[in-house]
Amino acid sequence: MVRLLTHNLLACHVKGCTSNNFPLQFQNVQIELREADFNADFLKNFLPKLEWKALVDSAKDLGDTSLPLEQPEMLDDEFLKNLHHVLLEIHVEEGSMTCPNCKHSYPISNGIPNMLLAEHEIG
Amino acid sequence: MSKYLVVFAQAHQEFRVPELESVAQLYNFKISLSDEPEERDPSRPFMIIELESENHVRLLAKRCILIKSIYEFYGRGSTYEVLHLRNRAKRHMWERYIPETSFKFIVAAYNHKIPQHRQKEVVESFAYMGFMGKIDMKTPEITLGCFEEYATRNGQTRERHEGDGDFLQVYFGRLIEEGTARPLVQLFDVKKRSYFGNTSMEAEISLLMANQTLACSGKLIYDPFMGTGSMAYPVAYFGAQVMGSDIDGRQMRGKQTTPGVFRAASQYGVASRIIDICTFDVTNNPWRCGGLFDAIVTDPPYGVRAGAKRLGRKKELDADRLALYHEHRTNPRPDDSPYIPPTRPYELSDLAVDLVLLARYLLKPGGRLVFFLPTVTDQYEEVDIYTMLCDGMEVIANSLQDFGSWGRRLVTIRKVTSELYPPPDFSIRDSEAQDETQRVPAHRHFREKYFQGFKKAEEVEAENLSHLP
Repeated sequence: MVRLLTHNLLACHVKGCTSNNFPLQFQNVQIELREADFNADFLKNFLPKLEWKALVDSAKDLGDTSLPLEQPEMLDDEFLKNLHHVLLEIHVEEGSMTCPNCKHSYPISNGIPNMLLAEHEIG
Repeated sequence: MSKYLVVFAQAHQEFRVPELESVAQLYNFKISLSDEPEERDPSRPFMIIELESENHVRLLAKRCILIKSIYEFYGRGSTYEVLHLRNRAKRHMWERYIPETSFKFIVAAYNHKIPQHRQKEVVESFAYMGFMGKIDMKTPEITLGCFEEYATRNGQTRERHEGDGDFLQVYFGRLIEEGTARPLVQLFDVKKRSYFGNTSMEAEISLLMANQTLACSGKLIYDPFMGTGSMAYPVAYFGAQVMGSDIDGRQMRGKQTTPGVFRAASQYGVASRIIDICTFDVTNNPWRCGGLFDAIVTDPPYGVRAGAKRLGRKKELDADRLALYHEHRTNPRPDDSPYIPPTRPYELSDLAVDLVLLARYLLKPGGRLVFFLPTVTDQYEEVDIYTMLCDGMEVIANSLQDFGSWGRRLVTIRKVTSELYPPPDFSIRDSEAQDETQRVPAHRHFREKYFQGFKKAEEVEAENLSHLP
């Protein structure tokens, strides 16, 4: 169940692939929505670590357009609720993530992404 | 500050003080222990601590796995005469219970059983307190506890009740709170877990580790060697969100469609707090940036039941085979998927050094790295721990779980810098090229030492010679 929170932290790490290697592009995804406990503190703690544009674009790829294009300065309840839903309640169960630069494809199966590299891809 | 008497459970002595200090830090209150080494002796089950409020007592009792109960401290002594003298002087602490408070008396001993007739004598010796309320053994308003501490008589047979009254110290106080965290050890019992493996960590230790991470709601905690997820459940139970990874996805998955880690997490009602589990080698990890986690908690594989692995080959391929490999990779056959990359062993002392460097990169400032390091008892020296430290990382606790000839140390390291460091390069070290001047830590080549029964080098040599014709 790759969630968008995790997706926002994963970059392609193939040897030599150091630019334009994020965000990974979702392909052929199967999505499940599952409720998670709302935790405003967690969201606020985590916000500075997010790549905002990547999050908004990836959410759009998965059909959710509830987030504003610019990260707002005021964190109101409605925004936090939407952020909570996007980060924690959308689960990608099957499919793959492809590097926009080197095109390495990381498969997702039963919700677990396989980020292992092949022999010639490690440094 | 007021004094309180902590009664510890009989387990994991060396973990007691680090746990008290961690929980105090988690809830941000002061705890003060005696400076006398004798009073801090971890092998003694009674400890006097000072706290600012009874509320802090309750927080400790709620969260510390090793606390049985905490009493308001009235007095102690090497004889009852001394104890009573001191208790009389504390009259202002208990006189409000004199008129009509129902009460119960507990008389117990450590390392000994007090015969019933003397238990009665002990209770009667407190008659001068003049409590007028009724005695209520089931639902008393207050409980008074009197504890005699005897020296250990390890392994010696003795007559029943022999040495009765020959105690080192006797303690007296009023019960404030029973420890409520201890039953969690039963809740997380591995045998009752819906998914576990042969290297799953026992419940009590994994709970102690969770306390060392300062896990609480709002935090994000990472386990880079997740395996069957033993560390994740207690950490998530205490409210933190968990991220896990492992080089071997089979450990996290198990055999059913729903991955085993999620099945076990559901059993504890914490599935939604396991953010994700990912398959990757931590030495080739895809984390986009550092400073992500509040804590890293892990039980790295140390090679006895499962060895640590990293991507790579034990031996480099020769030119022909390398060409063949590239051929196969560019035109994979349908039956060749999913592709499983080759791995090589990951030597424990290398892993430990890398883990600290990785933690410095991935932790937020002030974040903690909590992990187990096995070690050989005869060879261990405290500097072993320091062979794996780097700038900006400081050891704050190091507790031994002793198994005799070997043991494992629960190490807690804190990131004390807010400087940004680059990710570690995880270069493969040449294990033979050892700097002569540097100490070889006892955990180096732990696996080999374990299977040789921790014999010294000369003994192994002698044994090898004896097999010669």
